[in-house]
Order: sequence, then structure tokens, then C-alpha cells
Amino acid sequence: MRNILVIARCEFIEMLKTKTFVISTLFAPLIMGGIMYFSSKLVTQPPGARAPFIVGVTDLSGGLAGDIEGRFAEYSKKNSDRQILFRAIENANDPNAAQKQGKADLRAGGINAYAVIDKDIISGAGKMSLYTYKTKPSDMDIFQTAENMMTGAAVEQRCNAKNISSSLLREIRYVPTEHVEIGESANQQRVQKQAEMITRMMVPFFFMFMIYMGIMVIGQQILSSVIEEKSSRIIEILLSAVSPFELMAGKILGLTGIGLAVMALWTATAYGTARWQGLAVDISGMMFFYLVVYYILGFVFFGALLAGIGAVCNTLKESQSLMTPAVMICIVPMISWFNLVQSPNGLFARVLSFIPPITPLVMMLRLSAASNIPIVEIVVSIVLMAVSVLVAVWVAAKVFRAGILMYGKRPSFREIFRWLRQS
Amino acid sequence: MYALELNNVCKSFGQVHAVEGLSVKVPVGSIYGFLGPNGAGKTTTLRMVVNILRPDSGSITLFENGTEKQTRNHVGYMPEERGLYRKMTVRKTLTYFASLKGVPANEISRNVSQWLERIELGKWADKKVEDLSRGMHQKLQFAVTVINAPSLVILDEPFAGLDPLNYEMMKNIILEMRDAGKTILFSTHIMHEAETLCDSILLINKGKNILDGRLSDIRSRNHSDSVLVELDGDAGILGTLPMAAGVRPRQNQMEITLKQGGDPQELLAALAGKVRIRRFEIKTHSLHEIFIQLVGADNA
Repeated sequence: MRNILVIARCEFIEMLKTKTFVISTLFAPLIMGGIMYFSSKLVTQPPGARAPFIVGVTDLSGGLAGDIEGRFAEYSKKNSDRQILFRAIENANDPNAAQKQGKADLRAGGINAYAVIDKDIISGAGKMSLYTYKTKPSDMDIFQTAENMMTGAAVEQRCNAKNISSSLLREIRYVPTEHVEIGESANQQRVQKQAEMITRMMVPFFFMFMIYMGIMVIGQQILSSVIEEKSSRIIEILLSAVSPFELMAGKILGLTGIGLAVMALWTATAYGTARWQGLAVDISGMMFFYLVVYYILGFVFFGALLAGIGAVCNTLKESQSLMTPAVMICIVPMISWFNLVQSPNGLFARVLSFIPPITPLVMMLRLSAASNIPIVEIVVSIVLMAVSVLVAVWVAAKVFRAGILMYGKRPSFREIFRWLRQS
Repeated sequence: MYALELNNVCKSFGQVHAVEGLSVKVPVGSIYGFLGPNGAGKTTTLRMVVNILRPDSGSITLFENGTEKQTRNHVGYMPEERGLYRKMTVRKTLTYFASLKGVPANEISRNVSQWLERIELGKWADKKVEDLSRGMHQKLQFAVTVINAPSLVILDEPFAGLDPLNYEMMKNIILEMRDAGKTILFSTHIMHEAETLCDSILLINKGKNILDGRLSDIRSRNHSDSVLVELDGDAGILGTLPMAAGVRPRQNQMEITLKQGGDPQELLAALAGKVRIRRFEIKTHSLHEIFIQLVGADNA
């Protein structure tokens, strides 16, 4: 046990000193926070005047163009950085010629969008045809704005024709809404901001992501440290002083500690940032307890797996092909997280909860997405995961012991099974 | 009292029998040489002794008994393929291995400083291992092996790649350790090293014991059947002696091959008074010759 602690301590300290660790763990939250902060700052500030968005209009009804032009002018006065300009494309004698002209202008780039308004748009069921040509993604938003103003003009004119007050219609259509989150006690309630609802959505993802990053990033370190010791033959000196199990256990323990420290740092940063931005995030203490339990189980499982993989490989490159299946299975909850959050008690979520390597990922996602996860499922998932951890450590210790002194060709799966049977 | 006893130890890797029925006794307080050609099974045997490999059959006893844990902390092992953590500093390397090998916490710092001085790496204490030269690296590796003052030191090809100065330093440390009652077991295929250092040797080939025992006994058992004589006077007398099978001039001396059972002392007595003897040497085989003779015959 003493040796395990000595090794764990060394792994912990040596890992803290590596440049990659400092960059990836300390700077990652800073960089992420920085990007979020500056992107929101920069977006709200005027990015400087851009070329106006010009809409060509052929108004066959004859009653809408003036209103549209007025609306565009009013909008442009308020939004000087990106104006919407009106350009009439008329040909009183030949409407078809006007339309041909409009499309030609659109192709030539003289206008950014082209609208043809049917003759009976005000009185009947006439439509408004909107033509675009190779629309840029950055124009999507303003095109939508222009479209809303044009349909708004049509609604206004239809109201006038039918003698309905358009302001009354607006009043009728407007239903104010408010999102209020109530607390445990009767007078505890708070109006939610839009951002808080998004944050609420992201919390489960954050918890799962923590575990994923912890396992993958720190887990890689076990692999590379085993391979370094193996390829530099330090392993022989180590094994003359400690048993293979002590060596493996020490590594896993040390790096589990690193993982917990990193998670604490990241969680604190994320929480602090949210509070600083005025977003209330309420996460129960139990969540942190689960986070630690599932993280430790998941990390020890993968740590043992990666130590075993490291022991049978001679170079990091060689280990990649063995790593792939382990990484692939972890991607399943990553790509289906949205569905899992939407139905945390659905069949899919429940089945994934009991597939040992991804249990921690899925359970964290479910627990933070809903409060009604049956306690039986939580207990069973932890027990199942704990049993898998024991099996994984047992298998890995055998493979580690047999593989660590094998140089040259990587053993086949059949050979590895033979080692397991022999011992 | 034996520091190490191997009894009929066997180890195979697939179809290859690396060690076959090896039995050895290494006395406490001796320098014991493990000699043999490349691939003889030296490294495999040493790895089994330090419990990195397990023998297929037979037994290995350290210090006549003792648990695995006890023996681990009393054995220092320097593998043939050297390796240390490249990014760790010299001092940290020694400290880490000292604590792994059970040196009490309050003694580690003093031990480390002493060894840094002893191997003349004091100035390099805070440099990274990757900055060391090959020779320094090897000295550090040696210090790592003995940092816990083990009772049994096992060195696999310890002198490979050392310059004469460092060779002398390491040799002196080994002799000091022997004088302090430690047992040193080292493997080599350079016979000269064994000849100058060892008290006892084991010659191993194809995983089997070919020859073992005290070096002095082996030498006297393996004296050659010839005598070198340098004399003033008529050398023709040599051909007439009854115990001489043949006479061959070698530079300014004569080499006399004795008949089966011929005693060099009788030869000396026969010559005395007849010629003036300036030099009389009973030729002994060097370890190198014994090695070539025995291993060559075994491989034939």
C-alpha cells in the first residue's frame, strides 16, 4: 500500500508539471470563458457599416410598394450599419419584362433579393414571390427581416381594405409571456432569463462532458506513462522494487486524483462564470456526490483498460488501434445527449445506463436532466459498474504482468486470452 | 550462508528453453560473476531472481528465506537495458527510487546527497536526466540500484559503455560494498572484467551450468600442460627430458609441453643445476581461454 501511494504521488506531481497538462487544464477554461465573453461582447457591438441589402420589388397590385418603401426607410434610419434599400422594378406596359429585368438584376448582383407581388394580394389570395440568387449565410438574417416587413405591409393593407384596425389586430395578437421558476418555499420565485433556460439545458451536457474529458484526457496519460516506462525499460527497475499490481494501482490512483482536481477546477470556473454573468444555476449537492462516484468508477475502469493496452504495445502509435473501440463506445452518449436529456427515463437511456463503460456518462446525463431517476437504477448502475471495475482491474493486472516485459510483436487477442486462462 | 540459491530452475519461452535446470549457490559477501555468451540465459536468470519473471519449475531462495516483500527491499537490480525518466531531475530520480525501495523518509535526503557526491554528479543534481551524458546516465542508474544499501546487488552487464575512469570508480564501489559484507552478482561476457573482480563465477551456456566455483579453484583445476622456461646454456637438454612431450621455441623462451601426468616440479628439479634458469612459469589458462574452450566444445 505504501508503494502504491509513493507511485500515486509521483504520477500526480509529475503530471502537474507537464506543459500539456498546464495548457489543457488551466488554460482551457480561461480560453473557453474568454471566447464566450468576447464573442458576446463583439456581437452586440456594431461591426461597422456593411453594404446595404437591396430588395428589388415589382408590385403588380400597385398598392403595396409605397408602404414597403416606407418601412424599409424607417428600418434603415434605425440601423445605419446595415440598411435595407428599396428599388422599384416597374414596367407599366409589360409586367413580364419587369420580372425578367428583376431576375437579371439579381443575377448580376445589382440587387440582393427580388420580390414579385401578385395583383390580388390585398383583396384575394395572391402571393408574394421572393427570389434569391446564391444567398450568402450572412444575408439570411436580414433577408428574413425584409420578408417580415413586406408581409407586414400586406397585412396592414388587407386590414385597411377590410376596415379592421391594424393596431387593434396587433394588440389582439400580442400575448405577453413570462417564465417563472418557483423554489421550495411559497414566496420563492424568480423570473428566468432566456440564457438561464439554455444553461439549464447545458448543465447535463456539462456534467457528462466533465466525465468524458476526465476519462479521455487523463486516461491518455496512463497509456503514455506505461508506454514510456516500457520503451525506456524503466519498468524493469520498477518491477524489481514493486509488484506490477502496485505499479498499476499507483498510476491509476495518482491520475484519478489529478482528474478530480481538474474537475473541481473546471466546475468551479463554470459555476463562477455563470454566477458572474448573473445566471442562477441550482445544482444539488447530490449531483456532485454522483459526479465523484461515477467519475472514480469510470476512470478506474478506463485506467485499468488503458494500462492493459499500454502494457501490450511498444509505441503510442501501436496503441491507437486498440484505443479506437474504447473511444468509439464513449462517443455514443456524446452524440445522442440531446435525445437522452429529452427522455432521461426512456428505454434507450435506461439500456445505455447498464452498459458498463458508458454507465457513468449516461447516468450523469440522466441524473442532471431529471430528478425522478429511480433510486434502484442508480444503485444497480453503481453496483454493476463497481463489479465491472473489479473485473477490468483483474484482467488488466494479468495482462499488465504478462505484457509489460514483452518487446517486439504485439500479442494477439488469442495470446492475451491464454495469459488470462493460465493465471 | 548463501545470499542466493537456485535449485534446478527452468524457464521456457514457447519452444525456446532459456534456462534449463540451473542450480547455483551464491555465498554471502562475495562478488559472483555470471558469465556466458550472448543469449546464454544470463538476463533471464537474473530477471527470475528479482521476481520480474517466474520460473516454470525449480526454486529460487534469497537469504535462505524471507518474504517477497522483505527480499525486494534488500535486492538492488540494474537491468542490462538502461532507462530512467528523461524529464525527471537527477535528485528527484534518486529520491523517488529511494522511497519506492523503502528507505525511511528521514534518511532519503542524506542518502541521495551522499550518492550524488560519490558518483560525482553533485553539480548535475538539478539537471534533467535527458541532459546527462551516457556515462553519467550509467552512474546514476547504478546509484539508483544501490540507493537503499541492498544486501544483494544484481548488475546486468554493469560496465558496458563506461570509460576507464568511470570503470575504476564503479569497480571500487563494488569492492567497497563487498568489503562491507554485501553480495554482488553481476553478469558479463567480458572475461577480463570477471577475472579482475570476481571471487566466484558461474559459466552458463544455452541455459545450462557449464562450470562454477571459486575462481582460484577453477584456475588451478584448469592449469595447462605446458611450462615456459627462459634459460642460459644449452637448450638442447630440454628435448632429452623424460617428462617433456615436445619443445617449441617462443621468442626468447621455450615452451615445453608435458606428457600426460607430467609434473612441472619434476621438470624444474631435472633442470636445476644443469642450466641457469632465468624464468620458469607454469602456464595457466586465462578465463578467456577456458570460456572459449568450454563454450566452443559445448556448441560444437
